[in-house]
Amino acid sequence: MRWLLILGVFATLQAQNKQLLYGFKDVPQHILLNPGTQIDSKGYVGVPLLSQIHFNAGITGFSAFDLFADDGKDFSQKVSDIVYGMDAKDFFGINQQLDLFSAGFRLKTSSEKSIFISFGMYQESDFFFYFPKDYAVLAFEGNDTNLNRRFNLGDLSANAEVLSVFHIGINKKINPKLTLGLRGKIYSSIVQASSTNNTGSFTTVEGVGNSLKHIFDFDMNLQTSGLSFLENSSTTNEIDILKKRLLLGGNLGVGIDLGFTYEFAPEWTVDASIQDLGFINYSKDVKTYVLDNYFEYEGIQSLFPELVTGQTAQDYWDKVENDFDDLFEITNTTTSYTKWRPIKFNSSISYNFGRKTVKECNCLDKSDPTFQNRVGAHLFVMKRPNHFQWAFSAFYYRKLLKGLQLKATYTVDTYSFKNVGLGVSTALGPVQFYVMADNLLDYQNIAKSQSVSLQLGFNYIFKNNEN
Amino acid sequence: MKNHPIFFKLLLFFIFFVSLFSCVKDTDFEQAVPLALTPVLEVSLIQIEETPVSFLDSSGTEVLSISDEIVLELFSQNAVKDYLFKAELVFEITNSINKAFDVTLSFYDPSNTLQHTFSIAVDNSATNTPLITEHLEVFEASILDALKLSNKLNITIKLISNSTSSNLTAASEGIIALKSKAILYLNVSE
Repeated sequence: MRWLLILGVFATLQAQNKQLLYGFKDVPQHILLNPGTQIDSKGYVGVPLLSQIHFNAGITGFSAFDLFADDGKDFSQKVSDIVYGMDAKDFFGINQQLDLFSAGFRLKTSSEKSIFISFGMYQESDFFFYFPKDYAVLAFEGNDTNLNRRFNLGDLSANAEVLSVFHIGINKKINPKLTLGLRGKIYSSIVQASSTNNTGSFTTVEGVGNSLKHIFDFDMNLQTSGLSFLENSSTTNEIDILKKRLLLGGNLGVGIDLGFTYEFAPEWTVDASIQDLGFINYSKDVKTYVLDNYFEYEGIQSLFPELVTGQTAQDYWDKVENDFDDLFEITNTTTSYTKWRPIKFNSSISYNFGRKTVKECNCLDKSDPTFQNRVGAHLFVMKRPNHFQWAFSAFYYRKLLKGLQLKATYTVDTYSFKNVGLGVSTALGPVQFYVMADNLLDYQNIAKSQSVSLQLGFNYIFKNNEN
Repeated sequence: MKNHPIFFKLLLFFIFFVSLFSCVKDTDFEQAVPLALTPVLEVSLIQIEETPVSFLDSSGTEVLSISDEIVLELFSQNAVKDYLFKAELVFEITNSINKAFDVTLSFYDPSNTLQHTFSIAVDNSATNTPLITEHLEVFEASILDALKLSNKLNITIKLISNSTSSNLTAASEGIIALKSKAILYLNVSE
């Protein structure tokens, strides 16, 4: 448990929000966030396994400092304060992405109306877990002070998945102002487990025949796929199975990304994209566990057998025991199921300024004629099992030197109003390197941070001649 | 290429920004050890509802007592036993029969050795109006250990005659009802 709590130090609220990468045209991987982005290069090849390394983990509702501050307060009391300060909308999440390979190339080298093809494969892990508030209250208090309170068992909502994604996208500049993009994806789920859409409750009320009546109303499920190999397989087999699933041998799904960029004035650009509009059908190695029972319990009724019918309280207790066995009886099925991918929406508007001007015509001048600065606003929205997660960023992009670009962001969301991030892209000849991190203000005392994320990568870029 | 030293300086500044300026201050990660949960659970226990007929034999004559035994493994289950540090059994007995009773609850372990017993005296209701008797039995220390060893509960209702009570017949009125619950004080710690 402590490990989980300490992990909160390295938490991020943005989860899959990549506000620094979005619109960072010098980094080829930004095309994964908007297939309809403007692309300046002739092509790129990502360094295998190193072109995009992304990890973040986050928890909302508290920071590690709230818990571990050396303030002399009782630790259990601090845990209690945190638990009661959180609600069922708070969450804990981990997301990790690793580009296995990626590349892109322009089919026509003319800068007007050219087509850019990009493709690749990445592996992704995603774990998302809502804070089960009512379970926590029950664990902290019990039902003693909570008579008539309906403990909502639906507070348990979690999802975990490891998958690989093969993708190929097309990006076309329709006219000087409009660029459109489409990316097709094939998902291969390696392992998946989710327990969402749970309902039901546990309530204790004043009884009729006895002091109390306990009402158990269970309607819960756990869907899993790809987990059985862990139970009955050797290590060698496990690796083989994982390799196979990584290479499109898992439970398959399809999806698309859509995006556009519209430059309605040389200085002004608006863009938007939708990612992961798709689903995975889970049919291989599937197990679904269902707990769907209802029972009311008022206690054991003593029957005094000597004088009545011969039925003893033990008989009654046996019946109660059977009722409880039935109540907690879990059925399992192997029926296939389908799940939508967590859809994401990005959009930004930006203003470019500070174009470099050349006083005299010089055909040999290699200086960058494009705008050197960009400011704008960016909106990120993502569908989670029980809510939409959002973030709003203001950003400033600057070409500092030829081959060195910076982007700074200031992000707000439901929980944080002071997230400052910085991204750097630099090129040594055709080799480009980038690194991005956010929540820099919290680095003064990282324990107070609820949000730190990092991504970096290397690419080999084929630049346009004019660049 | 002459700009490369500048690139490297800037990159190094950025990459080491975390290590240069980030730190974890004023914290103590060792304090997670004594985390304890102390929930209090209320569990419905035994209910009894008997009329005067229940205290008559086949010939209609009063018996001395009636009793029943149930297997009660709630307190001896590991999940409860390991974390239970105090228990209270709360009884509410309503009597509208014109007969006094002595309700005895006896806890036995699997070898039928008596571990703990207590009685609740219930007054007769001469006018058949409900009289309520409440009893709280607290289990702590050695008595709690006895409870944890027990897996059987014997309930005996003994009839008590006194100057204002009457002999029970099939025509006697009233009811004796017992409601009960257990309050379990748990301490779950790492």
